[in-house]
Amino acid sequence: MVTRYLRRFYTSFATYILDIPPRLLALLLFLLALSVPLLLAGNVKGGDYYLRIFILANVNALFAASWDILVGRAGQISLGHALFFGIGAYSSAIFATSFGLPPWITLALSVPFGVLVAFLVGFPSMRVRGPYLALVSLAFPLILIRLSWLESPINIKAVMGGDFGVQGIPKLISNGYTPLQVRIFEYYFSLLLLCVGSIVLYKIARSKTGIVFVSILDDELASKASGINTTKYKLLAFAISAFFASLAGGFYAHFMTGADLSTLLFGGPSKGLIVPGSFTVVIMTIFGGIGTIYGPIVGAYILSLLPLLLYKIIDVLSSLANLGLSIADIWNWTFLIYIVSVVGFVVAWQKGIAAYVVEKLDELTETEEIRKDRRKGKKGKKGKKRI
Amino acid sequence: MPLLEVEKLTKRFGGLTAVNNVSFDVDEGEIVGLIGPNGAGKTTLFNLITGFLEPDSGTVKFKGEDITKLEPHQIVNKGIARTFQVVRPFRHLPAIANIIVSCVSPRGARKLEWLKSPARKALDMLELVGLSEMMFEPAENLAHGDLKRLEMAKALATEPDLLLLDEPFSGLNPIETDYLTKSIQRLHLDGYTMVIVEHKLHELMKLVRRVVVLHYGEKIAEGSPKEVSQDKKVIEVYMGRGI
Repeated sequence: MVTRYLRRFYTSFATYILDIPPRLLALLLFLLALSVPLLLAGNVKGGDYYLRIFILANVNALFAASWDILVGRAGQISLGHALFFGIGAYSSAIFATSFGLPPWITLALSVPFGVLVAFLVGFPSMRVRGPYLALVSLAFPLILIRLSWLESPINIKAVMGGDFGVQGIPKLISNGYTPLQVRIFEYYFSLLLLCVGSIVLYKIARSKTGIVFVSILDDELASKASGINTTKYKLLAFAISAFFASLAGGFYAHFMTGADLSTLLFGGPSKGLIVPGSFTVVIMTIFGGIGTIYGPIVGAYILSLLPLLLYKIIDVLSSLANLGLSIADIWNWTFLIYIVSVVGFVVAWQKGIAAYVVEKLDELTETEEIRKDRRKGKKGKKGKKRI
Repeated sequence: MPLLEVEKLTKRFGGLTAVNNVSFDVDEGEIVGLIGPNGAGKTTLFNLITGFLEPDSGTVKFKGEDITKLEPHQIVNKGIARTFQVVRPFRHLPAIANIIVSCVSPRGARKLEWLKSPARKALDMLELVGLSEMMFEPAENLAHGDLKRLEMAKALATEPDLLLLDEPFSGLNPIETDYLTKSIQRLHLDGYTMVIVEHKLHELMKLVRRVVVLHYGEKIAEGSPKEVSQDKKVIEVYMGRGI
């Protein structure tokens, strides 16, 4: 009985995961991600710091994937996406400090607020499209920043904390654990959020709703002519996107034990990119592959980890060649090479690095299938499903 | 009661009156041809009927209900589908997904038969227009003739009672033209009501019983193909004034 189920599980696992190269690759990367704390914590000097970078990469990846479904799929260009991230972070932080709610509840509460704001922002945004929408969306986080400084007639500053934001909110778990244990827990929890979030986003992107999203991206008028209420679907895209962005923001606030203006401006400062966060997601998504959902995740990871790797390499090289570079200079060189290589990658693989790799892997199976068909005397598959 | 009633429809673009006081009816089950020289306002009239443009005055009634102020997607869900003069596929989507979009719309989904998924229905539609071989091909890779057929399938998947075809024959080779003529005749037998805008009068006259002629936004003639082709004004418009 048990063996039968095990066998059935294994066959479905083998056909749906092991037989498809991109999925196999994703599985391997997932296993690698699972073992990161085992490799780093305790073994490597400063492992705690590296783990922090990985957690930020997870947060940014979820954030970027949520941007991708709105922009890469539904075609609603948003350059102020840090708004949703910031709303998630702030609402989490305010509920924790002003109302004294426990962390898990504040994290859950940050999501409906993000979705609510998505509807508020979505309605005026429905009137504009393309570059105009990009401009409009850019304004919303700036409005919120101004609001957070407001002292009269309503004292919003007292709630949102002005420049300093809301500080001193508890971590997700705190009592009786060492800081390293908390960090490992946070790593696994962020990985869980990323996995669940990206699988849900990926499933939505491939569903009927996802097909309608792409039809709006391609030709909104033709979509209307097919009987689609495009306003409804665009609002839905905003809501889905805000759901995961604010979830990422809520987690980020608990991770940093506070929410400040950087969440609105930077959307989570990854050490690599010192540009406003609404643009970090753009860069990560385009670097990884826009419209693919997995692209932004790969992009976020690579762009978060690349500077560290480059720093190590330059550090070793400079000590080998006796250049005697100062730490500041090593960082300067790191970012110089980093930025140039990012530009190079984007120019070389415009579809995105992950999309490129998946395409190559798909070609591998494609030829294999065609070869099998030919052996059986069948005609090769004519086209390839793109979505 | 006629299926579609267009009453005194007028649309101005700045100083230009694109459609001027045009009225006509379409009865259930008939095919009406809409002809006229370039710039006569045929496509504008289509856009007014389907809600893509709002008329300055006049009303459009469908099944006795005023639909003048409705949004395009609402009109589609009332049962009027259209095709575009220049094909507008969703180029990133495979052919079958292009049609799934129509099947997801409220009307397309409501009319889904028992135990039939949108994808299954989309496949049926592709088979109907003879594109099922290409179902996973992204629309951007399809040839022009195939895109025209895809456009038709997209419109049909919304289960329309009235089908507005904007130059369905443009850019088709003789074989494709023949195929399309046959498909339109078959749809006519199935009971579809159609309004067809066309330049290729030869093809159109084979299909329709009644023709409406537009010139500079005004209706100058209406009647059977024979009557219209003998109408002095129509001949003047098409052939120029006699010397």
